[in-house]
Amino acid sequence: MQPRIKAKVACTDREVGEVIRVVVDPLTREISHLVIAAGGRELLVPADGNLSAVTDQSIRLNCPSDALAGFEPFRRADYLSIHEVEIPHLERHLDVMPGEVLVPLPELEKNLSRRSFFTKFTNVIGAVLALPLVFPVVKYLIKPMYQPFDNDWLKLGKVGQATQVDVPRLVKFEKTVREGYLERKYEKSHWVLKASPELRKKIAAEPSEQEFRDSSGKVIWTNDPESDVVIFSGKCTHLGCAYRWRKHRRFGQVFVCPCHLSVFDVSGKVLDGPAPRPLDQLPVRVSGSGEIEIIDMEFKAGRAEQVRIV
Amino acid sequence: MWQTVYNWIDERIELKTLQAKLLNEPMAGGARYAYVFGSVLLFVFAMQVVTGILLMFYYAPTADHAWASTKYIMEHVDYGWFLLSYHLWGSSAMIAVVIMHMSQVYLWGAYKKPREMVWLAGLVLFLIVLAFGFTGYLLPWDQRSYWATTIGIEIVDKVPFIGDFLGRFLRGGPVPGALTLSRFFVIHVMILPLSLMAIAGVHLFFFRKAGPAGPFKGSKRELETKMEYFFPTQVWKDIVAMAVVFVIVCALAIHWPHELMDEASPVASDLNPEPEWYFMFLFQLLRDPALQFLFSGEWGEFLGAIVLPSVFLLLLAALPFIDRNPERHILKRPVALSSWLVVMISIAILTIRAYQFRGE
Repeated sequence: MQPRIKAKVACTDREVGEVIRVVVDPLTREISHLVIAAGGRELLVPADGNLSAVTDQSIRLNCPSDALAGFEPFRRADYLSIHEVEIPHLERHLDVMPGEVLVPLPELEKNLSRRSFFTKFTNVIGAVLALPLVFPVVKYLIKPMYQPFDNDWLKLGKVGQATQVDVPRLVKFEKTVREGYLERKYEKSHWVLKASPELRKKIAAEPSEQEFRDSSGKVIWTNDPESDVVIFSGKCTHLGCAYRWRKHRRFGQVFVCPCHLSVFDVSGKVLDGPAPRPLDQLPVRVSGSGEIEIIDMEFKAGRAEQVRIV
Repeated sequence: MWQTVYNWIDERIELKTLQAKLLNEPMAGGARYAYVFGSVLLFVFAMQVVTGILLMFYYAPTADHAWASTKYIMEHVDYGWFLLSYHLWGSSAMIAVVIMHMSQVYLWGAYKKPREMVWLAGLVLFLIVLAFGFTGYLLPWDQRSYWATTIGIEIVDKVPFIGDFLGRFLRGGPVPGALTLSRFFVIHVMILPLSLMAIAGVHLFFFRKAGPAGPFKGSKRELETKMEYFFPTQVWKDIVAMAVVFVIVCALAIHWPHELMDEASPVASDLNPEPEWYFMFLFQLLRDPALQFLFSGEWGEFLGAIVLPSVFLLLLAALPFIDRNPERHILKRPVALSSWLVVMISIAILTIRAYQFRGE
């Protein structure tokens, strides 16, 4: 039982006054003191050890009435109201209010079916407003995400310029793309390799890599295994960085990706590092005048299998 | 005069009570510098909002102008270099303070009952802060931005089932380009700030409802006698910490202003792409020769980039439900202490190695 405000306070010999306030410890949330009005004074009585019997109406202190003078006088300025302090779960610990303060429901609201009808109807109208928006919004957001593949041939320059056999050369070219509202020209780069017959044979050993498909899975181009020109896509098969042709401490002259240090030999085979598949070749053809033409495909990085995305 | 205005407002909206309630939060054991991190984070975020809005006065979020407008801010707008550099260092400060905040809560055992929901909301905020860093990195549209984003989205692509969709959704297409920039921009300046503000509000609400945890040792009597309200001592300590962070971020911004690289381009160059320092350990995890036996190839990639971080985050989320021992003293929680040390030391080692492997 907690001491109540307005409860009568009695000492061992006689009744002395009533509880007018309680003081709560903000950490334990228990009543720590009572403020008792007795004989025209307000006294601060520690709840601990001084109370012998507490009921709804009354409190008995275990001291005689003349001992009351020993308690500290109460000074309001030393305290804050509980409305001015944020004390979690205070209500659960405290039961000092004289009773609940109530507000009646409006007459119309007392009808239970009416209440539940409005609740349901509010939800239905919300859904009616929201649902037709879902499809257009999803379509709106995913509009540019899936595009048809670009199967056009692009000119990369003359083969003659790639003089050294078995030494890859970085070729930059300009590409015009339409991205939403923006038509943009930017540079890209791939590696052109003029392969010796032995190297070409090694590269051609993987037949699946010589075939290129469109979005329906139909083969649209097969690289000629006799042709000495090979194009490696400039994108690393690990996570899509642009790799370089470098001298490596352990492997000599190789392709090295600066991001996660995958190493590929001149045939595109993975020698070291996290790359899951060899370098991607691109569809290539050489015109009568020696012009190299490619389809600028891109494949998903990080997969053991080649998955075309552009 | 001010008193009259104040009273006039108070009469209408009970301003005094509201103010009193916000400031009078009982703290067992009293105010401490150990409790400043949450407030400091709020301050760092507020500064990011201010500097971010200022940057938008000149920044153009389109692929053909983003780099040029960033360069203009850096080189031609008065103090543009400072605001941009402050914003960049501010993002690092955000991550650094988040790590300290989470470590403090972890080591103090403050995630335990009844504060589980505070911890969970905080974890969501942590993810939002990481997303801020990742999306903001692309906006200058220089080489560093372009390549970090390329790699980052390729990693998202490795999420099972929905990875391809998520990757395309973020890029606005199959490969990074103009629409990626638009998407990252709207995520960075609208979606993430609004989410962060909403969830930070929820985080604070949960915190106020559950109450602060207080010190992990000391008798009940001691905690009661040393009890203080949030105002004024803790507010003072918070302000001191905010000032220290502000001075550090300013000093970093002045001494190491941002260096804008060449404009984004998919052409092979001499650049060694790398993420911000706080993602370096993950970057190194995927390439460290000592770990190649685990993280190479398609499955290794998936294990290192998706499974490991997800498991780590799920463990963090499950933490208050796994660790239900009410003991909060860190020296009496050897498992908790040693796991924290293992995680921190591993991240530190990987980060240091990432810088050693630079440009190999």
